[in-house]
Amino acid sequence: MPAAYPLPSDLSPATVTNTASLLRIIALALISGAAIASRLFAVINFESIIHEFDPWFNYRATKVLASQGFYEFWNWFDPTAWYPLGRVVGGTIYPGLMATSGVIYNLLHALNLPVDIRNICVLLAPGFSALTAWATYMFTKELKDESAGLLAAAFIGIVPGYISRSVAGSYDNEAIAIFLLMFTFFAWIKALKQGSAFWGTIAAVFYFYMVAAWGGYAFITNMIPLHALVLLLMGRFTGRLYVAYSSWYAIGTLSSMQVPFVGFQPVRTSEHMAALGVFGLLQIVAFAQLVRAHVSSKQFQELLFAAVISVGLIGFFGIVGLTYKGWIAPWTGRFYSLWDTGYAKKYIPIIASVSEHQPTAWPSFFMDLHFLIFLFPAGVVMCFRTLRDEHVFVIIYAVVASYFAGVMVRLMLTLTPVVCVSAAVALSSLMDAYLDPSEPNVEDDKNGSSTPHSTGTTPSTALATSKKTKKNKEKEASAPAGGVLGELVSNVTSSAVAAKSATTAERGVFGMDTRLIVLLNSLGLLLFFVVHCTWVTSNAYSSPSVVLSSTSPDGSKNIIDDFREAYHWLRQNTAEDAVVMSWWDYGYQIAGMADRPTLVDNNTWNNTHIATVGKAMSSPEDIAYPILRKHDVSYVLIIFGGLIGYSGDDINKFLWMVRIAQGVWPDEIQEPNYFNRGEYRVDSEAAPAMRDSLMYKMSYYRFAELFGGQQPVDRVRGQHVPIQGPTLDYLEEAYTSENWIVRIYEVKKDDVLGRDLKIANAFDQGKKRKRTKPMSRRKSISA
Amino acid sequence: MARRWWTLPLLLVSALAPSFSLAGLAFENTAIVRTIELGGSLVHVSTTYAVKALEPRQTTYQIALSKAERAKTSWLEAKVKGQTTPLELSEDESSTEHLLSVSLPKALAVNGTLNLVLETVQTHATHPFPEQAAQKEPQLLKYETDLFTISPYVTLVQRTKIKSMAPNVISYTTPHDVDSFVRDGSVTRSGGTITYGPYNDIQTDTYFVAKHQQSISVHYSFDYPVLEVETLRRTAEISHWGSNLNIEDKIHLHNAGPTLKGHFSRLEYQGQIYHRRQAPHILSDFTLHLPPGVTNAYFYDQNGNVSTSHLRTVPSVAKGSKATQYSVLELRPRYPVLGGWNYSYTIGFDTPLQDSVGYDVKNGIYVVGVPVMTNIPGTVVDNAEVKIILPEGATNIEFISPFPELSNGMSTHISYLDTAGRPAVTFTYKDLTYKHTGIIYVSYQVPVSAHLKKVMSVGAALFSLFAFAFMARRVDLNLHKK
Repeated sequence: MPAAYPLPSDLSPATVTNTASLLRIIALALISGAAIASRLFAVINFESIIHEFDPWFNYRATKVLASQGFYEFWNWFDPTAWYPLGRVVGGTIYPGLMATSGVIYNLLHALNLPVDIRNICVLLAPGFSALTAWATYMFTKELKDESAGLLAAAFIGIVPGYISRSVAGSYDNEAIAIFLLMFTFFAWIKALKQGSAFWGTIAAVFYFYMVAAWGGYAFITNMIPLHALVLLLMGRFTGRLYVAYSSWYAIGTLSSMQVPFVGFQPVRTSEHMAALGVFGLLQIVAFAQLVRAHVSSKQFQELLFAAVISVGLIGFFGIVGLTYKGWIAPWTGRFYSLWDTGYAKKYIPIIASVSEHQPTAWPSFFMDLHFLIFLFPAGVVMCFRTLRDEHVFVIIYAVVASYFAGVMVRLMLTLTPVVCVSAAVALSSLMDAYLDPSEPNVEDDKNGSSTPHSTGTTPSTALATSKKTKKNKEKEASAPAGGVLGELVSNVTSSAVAAKSATTAERGVFGMDTRLIVLLNSLGLLLFFVVHCTWVTSNAYSSPSVVLSSTSPDGSKNIIDDFREAYHWLRQNTAEDAVVMSWWDYGYQIAGMADRPTLVDNNTWNNTHIATVGKAMSSPEDIAYPILRKHDVSYVLIIFGGLIGYSGDDINKFLWMVRIAQGVWPDEIQEPNYFNRGEYRVDSEAAPAMRDSLMYKMSYYRFAELFGGQQPVDRVRGQHVPIQGPTLDYLEEAYTSENWIVRIYEVKKDDVLGRDLKIANAFDQGKKRKRTKPMSRRKSISA
Repeated sequence: MARRWWTLPLLLVSALAPSFSLAGLAFENTAIVRTIELGGSLVHVSTTYAVKALEPRQTTYQIALSKAERAKTSWLEAKVKGQTTPLELSEDESSTEHLLSVSLPKALAVNGTLNLVLETVQTHATHPFPEQAAQKEPQLLKYETDLFTISPYVTLVQRTKIKSMAPNVISYTTPHDVDSFVRDGSVTRSGGTITYGPYNDIQTDTYFVAKHQQSISVHYSFDYPVLEVETLRRTAEISHWGSNLNIEDKIHLHNAGPTLKGHFSRLEYQGQIYHRRQAPHILSDFTLHLPPGVTNAYFYDQNGNVSTSHLRTVPSVAKGSKATQYSVLELRPRYPVLGGWNYSYTIGFDTPLQDSVGYDVKNGIYVVGVPVMTNIPGTVVDNAEVKIILPEGATNIEFISPFPELSNGMSTHISYLDTAGRPAVTFTYKDLTYKHTGIIYVSYQVPVSAHLKKVMSVGAALFSLFAFAFMARRVDLNLHKK
């Protein structure tokens, strides 16, 4: 057989297999290393710290778990959250993440490795990303072969779409969920392929782990039934499908109900009904198959119409009826917002106010996936060309996840694995085609074009080469799992027999130049991909957001640490039971870093409570003050970025507070009042409601004085704020951080003389200014 | 027999009689000068006794401190004036006053004279007055002491100088009923120095003390923050494998100055910094002197690393020679610590082990020296706990503290991959000052087998793991062969 380039001919197949296996292990180890290392930018650039908002709660819960044990954690009632309501933490969280860290912590301590719990939490996500790479490798291996698996593992290891949620310190449920997702899917595919109840059970166990770890488990809950249903509709019902699905569903559902937060949802909410429905359908179909085997064909037809259809209809209407009667909860608002992107904004502003719930912008697809997004459709098309059961799964997964990724930014995360898998399949097929050294002989070429290709059973030279000339992909279907490697081995052995002197095409499709052009091009793409991933990771996704950094003109890095400064101040210098009111974004951080009770936090379960805070923030002082006093608020904490230009501050979030408050008190708070002729302004043209609101006053209190008589500028909004700043009667400034990002105000206690605080304040100031401003006093009296 | 019964009470009486009257004959103080340097947390008192012996062969001179003063005094040292070696002191608490017996370097003959200096450092001796101060207001403190320096011996002339660092002394007490001892004036002030006395012919009997002893107080302004370390927990961990001594301090710092009246205004604070007129009671940063050769210094608190610190290291010096330079660590807490505020943090650093550990080849004994504390200037450490963790398997542990500790104890500390745990020695102290920066010495032996213990155990664990994997790969649990 002619070869495009010489191959060593004196290798035994065992050597080749062993070397390949060793190389795979090394490659996987390196991929794991790269996956972990690329997530450490945050630790190296900043420090080993928990990021953002939700991770602070997870970290705090993990600390409770690690220090007090699992049962205490399970029964943990947190009186400091949602003051004065409190929160039953054990029953309102997905404990998988904390349990994982707790197990690791106890394991390490049992081995006398006293690793700090914080470091375990920080490094959990990178560690699990290595496992994700491995799970993706296993998954893709089932789809195509090992080389595609390695490519997929490399992709998922460093792709920004996944890194964005799993950098070191991003201690959130997604950190372990993607691994669980991929491994559950792998186990499902494996169970389906082998018809193995064992693998079905493994899928169920990992499904249970996933349920315990992330609310996104509903994705699996619907993906697997959907796959099963599509297979059923394609006429691919087999005993293997029945065994795999039944074992997964029965064990998976029962175990998932053990998670307190999930409880009876799997049998009582609409999101889970598809899985139950498909389970029932499979039983019916399996029963029908059984009957079919025992009765004649004609009788079977009648039976089918009579029984199967009616049972199916009864089941369907049963579910609908139960939903109608309220036994099965209808879809939740979050679920609706997946279908109607405008739904949340209209009915649940609190969901819409979260930036990661916004629809995805087109550039972010490229930013998160780079060239994989171009390979992705090609990979999906290649799945169509083989179309085994697992390929159907990938196709469904691709379609569903693409839709969801377009609807919500955060669901980009679920799209990323399937993009990596299909892109790896596509790229690997390309590589296979262009790396395969075999070349067709001229006569073989003729043969190949004339004789129809039959699925190869013996690796004869003629067949192998004709495969190459015909469809590259068809070979993939028939080739054993060895894939390109087995082919290489057969080529090595056969090329020893074949004459080396055969014609080697210098040009054309099989020539080295063509091969090099394509291969170098793909290699270049891969290289750019790595560069892009590194750049995006280091620049966009590795900021803890608790600590900010800025670069001064001379290139030196400047750390802005206002959040921790203020939280630490609260922690050390206020009464331990002092209630802190802030917008819900900062609830978890205050609880985690300042260890003080908060009114609302990122677990946004009580809309009214949040609206109360929104109302207090957006009302004038004298209306807000009774609200604050009724809730025992001692301190009010706000984020103000106007001095250094930190754009994520409360004034920019203020409209959401207004909207959410308006949802509960439409008579008292109206969003249009905060606009001046349709413009959102903070300068002297600001709307009166805006200027009087507590949030505005607290943000700009004494801000103008900082400019020493110059025109003060808000660097975020780019507007000139009035030189005469707002005054406060019911609150007083307690602490302001170095760059004024965090401002804390203390709520004044009642006046000792029983006066209204405003009058008391006016009296205090009037006494001082008696001589300087007699006119204004007289005016105010006459007015 | 009867005689014996009769003499016993006499002996008892003679033993328990006020030592004042007994000792009163042996010496005479020709002059006592007490100099009090006012500070914040610390007040430095230096008293010079010009002593004349009235009886031959006197070797023990007694110094009296009132009970209250002794309670405030956390460090004391007696010397012959002009010499550096401290004299031996023994304390006696049985009488109404606290007595210190000083062993004189050589016996004094009749009319032999000697100048003795007693240096003490008092802690918690001042208190803010008024107790609250706004951010812009000065920091005013009050110090109270006794007018007369008491002594078991008759004093011919004595005076007390109270020095304040800042010249503005708000007020001071003018003593009453002292006309009988005074020739010029009972008290004079020049700048920041207030001089009480000279007072002549101070007697020693209790009647005199009860009648004339009185409390004087000075109200002065102090320009530095009054800092207290409420707890200091130092952990020194010795690693022979890493050739490293890690020292970690967990510190709870408290600004004991006047508590902040009203609230902290960042605007005013920034204005004060801009005009370089920072309020005296605000601690914005401080400097620590770490040993030479420090590496891997860290400074963090409950919320992670504090990014605002600078370390300037100097190379380590040979053991035994005196270090001429220190590594300088500039710390800035997360927020300025105002009066009444707290700040707890952790700092730690590594030093090369050979800088602090000596090895006696003949006996196979290691001796390690660990400083009791790193002094924060002008700070008193209320409670200190120093824990020295020795290498795993260390035996024959002996230790000596540079000054008496409240308590000490042995415990076991389990750290990375330990099997049996490491022996640890813990010392507790109270009211430490800059005078207490001594070194604790611990000697121990480590057999070679102890050194190899960790390597062997980790090796064995890994080996058994691989062996298990090796076996597991080769066991076929399938029920039916495919």
